[in-house]
Amino acid sequence: MTTKEDILQLICRHTQEVVPHLANHQFCESDQLALLGATSIDRAEIVIMVQESLRLSIPRVELFGPRNIGELASLFFAKIHAA
Amino acid sequence: MQLDLRVTAVGVVSPIGQGKAEFTRALLAGESAFGELKRPGRQRESRFLGAELGPLTAPTLSHHGLRGASLSAQAAAAVLDEVWREARLDEVAPERVGLVIGGSNVQQRELVLLQERHRERPDYLRPTYAMSFLDTDLCGFCTAHFGIRGPAFTVGGASASGQLAIAQAAAAVRAKQVDVCIALGALMDLSYWECYGFRAIGAMGSDRFAEQPDLACRPFDQRRDGFLFGESCAAIVLEAAAPRPRAGLEPYASLRGGGVVSDANRNANPSVEGERRAIAEALATSGWRAEQVDYLNPHGSGSPIGDATELEAIKTSGLRAAYLNTTKSLLGHGLSAAGLVEVAATLLQMRVGRLHPSRNLEEPIDEGLNWVRAASVEHRVRRALTLSFGFSGINTALCWESLS
Repeated sequence: MTTKEDILQLICRHTQEVVPHLANHQFCESDQLALLGATSIDRAEIVIMVQESLRLSIPRVELFGPRNIGELASLFFAKIHAA
Repeated sequence: MQLDLRVTAVGVVSPIGQGKAEFTRALLAGESAFGELKRPGRQRESRFLGAELGPLTAPTLSHHGLRGASLSAQAAAAVLDEVWREARLDEVAPERVGLVIGGSNVQQRELVLLQERHRERPDYLRPTYAMSFLDTDLCGFCTAHFGIRGPAFTVGGASASGQLAIAQAAAAVRAKQVDVCIALGALMDLSYWECYGFRAIGAMGSDRFAEQPDLACRPFDQRRDGFLFGESCAAIVLEAAAPRPRAGLEPYASLRGGGVVSDANRNANPSVEGERRAIAEALATSGWRAEQVDYLNPHGSGSPIGDATELEAIKTSGLRAAYLNTTKSLLGHGLSAAGLVEVAATLLQMRVGRLHPSRNLEEPIDEGLNWVRAASVEHRVRRALTLSFGFSGINTALCWESLS
């Protein structure tokens, strides 16, 4: 079963793919992608990559809520378990 | 008084060599690298022939900086890296540097691969597709990488795109929009769809030499049966001759003039009259007489009708005396890149004073011309003419004069 921690790891991995200078960054749940240097297009890219990895499809409007990667992981976790 | 435009740098990647030193050596040795195309997205129940690049070796291209960059963008960055260092463009104000990229629809293979990957789930398409499908992504990628802040745009002229980019870059310098302008012929990244299309229209060979790729590319030879594709990319730097040039520059040649004309024709067929007009305009703007041209780098794709038409235009323009060889016989046809790669080959031959051999030119369709055949020829070029023609009736000719 996919845990919230698994999802967080996935977000971190895709973030490092899109924003290479974060290769050695120690992520924590309160990290905000914008403050880490991810542009709006980078963030859209990361969110799509995570959805593809999780085989999820979430309306874009629902993705505006989360304020950090911990909240983003919680949203994906809730969607998986609601499905 | 027309501005004296100088070429201050040349950069190239090709199947037979990357960087001008290796490229020049391979050109003069008459090397080639034809075989069945192998890059993913190039074949589908097919055995198309051509020549592909080896792994790109430009020193400053970091793996990280290339994420999401198409093959065309990576090749562009490699040749820009070469000209940037040679022309010392770090010493020029970024706002005074321009970039004109020749080519349109150049990333076809990557688009096909991406569309196939997402065919069942288009909702997972990467958001960056909205930018990267445009050829102008090459401009964005290159200007960001090199800090270019003058005008940067693409120009499309089918197989004449490379020479058209040079004509536009020259116009930008003459109009004083910029002090330095880079003209780049983009790597045309064909998918199997374009290969099927070129075969269907009769432009791409080879039926005759399907089992002998080494023999299949033979522009101007009696047994030619169409062009072979070849991946390549090249760039040159154009700037006005300055009273105090940047230290270390060694200009290659002057761009004396050029002609760009249309045939009022939507089709792929060439026109003697259109090609002759482009040549005449190039000679007139240069103040040259035809008989002064002592080296000619023709378009010569290997097309049955195109090559014969071009030779007719050359002969009736009074250019019989000039040496000529065929760069495409070694590299294949780079389409959007071809004009620029062949100008690069011309400038490099001018520099070394030697003309490269032509491959497979066993029985020229006209024996009366001054061909460089199987062996290279020592020759100090004074005045060179380069020709590129494209589908939709696009004809270009450029005149290059030695500085020595």
